[in-house]
Amino acid sequence: MKHFSKHLLAGAAFALMSAVSPLAFAATPDDQLVIGTSLAQVLSLDPQQGTEVKTQEILANIYDRLVEFSSEDNYAVRPQLAESWDIDDAGITFHLRDAKFTSGNPVRAQDVVYSLVRLIKLDQSAAASFKNAGYTADRIESLVTAVDDKTVRIEMTDGVIPESLLYRLTMGTASVVDSVEVQKHVVNDDYGNEWLRTNAAGSGPFTLRRWTPNDIVLLEANADYWDGAPAMRRVAMRHAPESQAARLMLERGDIDIANALTAPDVLVFDGKEGFEIGQSKTGGFYALAMNAGREPLSNPLVRQAIAYGIDYEGIANTILGPYGRARNVPVPEDFEGAIANPDWSFQPEKARALLAEAGYPNGFDLTIKTISQTPRVDMATAIQASLSEIGLNVRVQQGNGSDIVAAHRARDFDLLIPQTGAFMPTALGSIDNYVTNPDNSLEANNAGNFVWRSDWDIPELNALRNEANGERDDARRAELIKEIQELFLASSPAVIPMFERFEPYVINAKVQGYEGHPLSLTRLEDVTKSSGN
Amino acid sequence: MKEFTFIELGRRIGQLLLSLFVLLLVTFVIGRVLPTDPVGAIVGELADPATYEAMRQRLGLDLPIYQQFWIYLTSMVQGDLGTAILTGNPVVNDLRAAFPATLELATLAVVLSTVIGVPLGMTAAFFRDSWFDQFARVISLVGHSIPVFWFGIVGLVIFYATLNWVGGPGRIDIYLEGLVEPQTGLLLIDSLLVGDYEVFWNAVSHIILPACILAYSAMAYITRMTRSFTLEQLNQDYVIAARAKGASNWRIVSGHLLPNIAVQLVTVLAIAYGGLLEGAVVTEVVFSWPGIGQYMTNALMIGDMNAVVAATLIIGIIFMVLNFLSDLAYLVLDPRTREVTT
Repeated sequence: MKHFSKHLLAGAAFALMSAVSPLAFAATPDDQLVIGTSLAQVLSLDPQQGTEVKTQEILANIYDRLVEFSSEDNYAVRPQLAESWDIDDAGITFHLRDAKFTSGNPVRAQDVVYSLVRLIKLDQSAAASFKNAGYTADRIESLVTAVDDKTVRIEMTDGVIPESLLYRLTMGTASVVDSVEVQKHVVNDDYGNEWLRTNAAGSGPFTLRRWTPNDIVLLEANADYWDGAPAMRRVAMRHAPESQAARLMLERGDIDIANALTAPDVLVFDGKEGFEIGQSKTGGFYALAMNAGREPLSNPLVRQAIAYGIDYEGIANTILGPYGRARNVPVPEDFEGAIANPDWSFQPEKARALLAEAGYPNGFDLTIKTISQTPRVDMATAIQASLSEIGLNVRVQQGNGSDIVAAHRARDFDLLIPQTGAFMPTALGSIDNYVTNPDNSLEANNAGNFVWRSDWDIPELNALRNEANGERDDARRAELIKEIQELFLASSPAVIPMFERFEPYVINAKVQGYEGHPLSLTRLEDVTKSSGN
Repeated sequence: MKEFTFIELGRRIGQLLLSLFVLLLVTFVIGRVLPTDPVGAIVGELADPATYEAMRQRLGLDLPIYQQFWIYLTSMVQGDLGTAILTGNPVVNDLRAAFPATLELATLAVVLSTVIGVPLGMTAAFFRDSWFDQFARVISLVGHSIPVFWFGIVGLVIFYATLNWVGGPGRIDIYLEGLVEPQTGLLLIDSLLVGDYEVFWNAVSHIILPACILAYSAMAYITRMTRSFTLEQLNQDYVIAARAKGASNWRIVSGHLLPNIAVQLVTVLAIAYGGLLEGAVVTEVVFSWPGIGQYMTNALMIGDMNAVVAATLIIGIIFMVLNFLSDLAYLVLDPRTREVTT
C-alpha cells in the first residue's frame, strides 16, 4: 500500500510537469482575436447609455448604425444599415438594406425610430449631442418617423446641418436596437435598460456571448451578418489593467492587441519585429482648465502668463510619446479648416513680465488637480516644474476619476487637466468643448459643459459657434470656423488645449485589418490573422 | 455546565453583532465622507444637471446621511445588500461570482506557505544561529519586505515570458474560456468534475505563479512565528527530558513539540488565510485575477459604496468565522481548554 501511494505520487508529479509546460506554449488560435484592455470603466452595454471608450469598441461590433465613418476617405460618412439616403432642405430620408437582428427579426424603420426615441427618453449623458442640437424629449417623436418598413425620415432642427446630423448618426449612441426584443424586457418604463445593460439585441457582425465585469467580454461571430460572416470566430476582450503584465502577454502571443498600455510600455515595441504601434486619433485634447472665477486666474494676463509658462514640446516628447502631440488650437492639425498653431512655446521671461504687469511680480500659490492616470499625472508634474520657473508655486493633487470630475463639475479647482473628445471628426466637432457656454451663471449649473466649469463667460464665441453650427453654406461656414479659432486664441482662454490626444495600441503583426477608430468604434469584421508563427 | 456554554455563546454572538454594526457604520461613514461621485460614474462626465439629479434621487443620495444609513441597515437585515452600480446585479451575486477565484488562490497559497513555512521555521529553531537559520531568516525577510507587485511582475518576466513554464495573467487561456460551466466556481474542481483535463492543467499553469508569490509573502510571517514558538518550547523541561531519554529529533517534533505549538500555529495560519482571502488586491490586479480584491478596488474607484460596504461586511464575517473556527480548533488541540469548559 505504501509503495502504491509512492508511485501514484511520482506519477502525479510527472503528469503535472509534462502537462503544464506544453500548454504554456499555446498561442492564440488563428480564428480568435484576443484584445488586452481595461474593462474597469465598462459599466453598461446598453448602446443608448454606455459612452466610455472601451464600451464603444464592444458596442460597435454588436450593433449597426444607419451610417458610419472611419479615418479613411478623410472621415467621409458611409452607409451601414442605410443603403442610401436623400438630403433635402428639411431633413434626410434613409433607405434601409435587408438585414436581420441576431434574434431573427428583420431590421425595420420602426427599430431605427425606437432606438433614437429611446436614446432621448432614457436621458443619459449618451443623449447629450442630440439634445444639444434640439432633438429633445418633447419633439423627438415628430422629428424621427418611419415612412414605411424600409424608409426612415429624420427632420433637421435649427441646431444641425446635414453633415452634423449624419455624423451624429454615426455615433455609438445611435446604434439600432431590436425593438421587438427590447420591448419584451421593459420594466417600469425603463425602455428595457435594466435588461439591455447586460444583454444584447443588435444586428452587428458579432453577438455577445458573455460579459463578466472586470474580467472578460466574449463576442462570437454572427454567421448571418448581412455583409458576410467575419473571419474571426471569436473575439475576447480581456481585462488586463496592469500595463506591464499586458505587455508580457502581448510579447508572449497570449493577446493580439493591447490598448491600455502606458507610454513606456508602448515604446518598448517601437521598431520591435513582429509588432506594430497604432494610434486612434481621437480628435480630442488633453487640456488645461483654469478656474476663471477665482483670483488671480480671473485676470486674463495671468492666464496668458500660464499659457507661456508650459513647455508643451518638451512634455510631448518626453511624456506623451505615442499619446499625443503639442497643439494649442482646439481643432486637430489634420482636420479641414484647422489654423496654424500660435507661438505659445515655453517663454518664461515673457510669462514673468505678464505676471508683473498683472500685479503678481512674486508669483502666487496654486493647486493642479488630475486623475491619477497615465499620462496625465506625469503631465501635471511637468507643468508644476515649468510653472515654478515663472514663479508660480503649484501643488499637485491626484484623485480617482469620480473625485476629480466631481471637483471639476463643482468649479472646485484652480488648475485641472481634463481630456476632451470630438463628437464628430470635424472642426466644429472638436472645438465644441472650448467655445460653448450659453449661460455662465452659477444657477445655470451647466455642469456637463467644460467652459461653464471653468467659469469662463464667452458670449461672443458662443454666438459664433451657434451661427457656424447652423450655417449650411460651406464657404461661409469655413470662414466662421476660422474666425472662431482666431477669436478663441485671442481671448486668453481659460480652457487651453495642450496636446492632441491619441489612443495608442500595440498589435501583433499577424493581425491584419485592425484600424483604430477616432471614436473607438473599431469594427473587427474585416480583421484576419495570418497563420504564420 | 451546558447553560454556561449557551450564555457564552450568546455573549459571543452579541459581540459579533456589535462588531458587525461598528464595521458597517465605519465603512458607511468613510464611504459617504469620501469625495467620490457614484452618480457621475453612472451618468457620465458630460451629463446635464437634470439627468444627474434624477440619478442621484434614484440612488437615494439626496436623503440625509442618517436616513441613508437607516435604509441601508433595514434592507440589510432583510438580506438585501443592495445593487452594485458597476454591474447592475445584486451585490451578493457579484460577490458570489468573484469569491471562488479568490478562495481558490488563497487556499492554494496558504497550503503552500504552510507546507514550506512551518518545517522551515522549526528547522531554523532547531539549528538556531547556524547558517540554515540565517538562510531562513534572509529568505523570509525578503519575502516580507519586497512588495508583492514587484514579485508578480518579475515572476511573470522570468517564468511566463522567458522560461514559458507557466500560464500568464488570467485564470485560464482565453481560448478555453467558457468551456466549463461553473458549478462550484472553483475552476480546478469544476474542470475535474466534468473530466476536462485540458482545462484543469491549463488552470493549474495559470494559478501556480500567483499562488507561489502569495504563498511566499505569507510564508515569511509563518516561518518567523513558527521559529519563535519552537524556540520557546525547546527550552522547556519536557523537551530536555525527552532528549535525556534519548528520543530522536523527529520523535521530539512529532510527539511533543508539534502538539504544544499547534494551538498558536493554528491562530497564525488562520490570520494568514484570512489575509489572503480578503483579496490580495495587488496580486489580483497584476495577474488579472477576477477575485474579491479586484472587485473591491474597482468598486472603490467608481465610488460604488453598496459593493464596497457589502464586500467589507463579507470579509469581516470571514475573519470572524475563521477566528471562531480557530477557537474551536483549540478545543480539539489543547486538552486544557476542554477541561475548563466541560
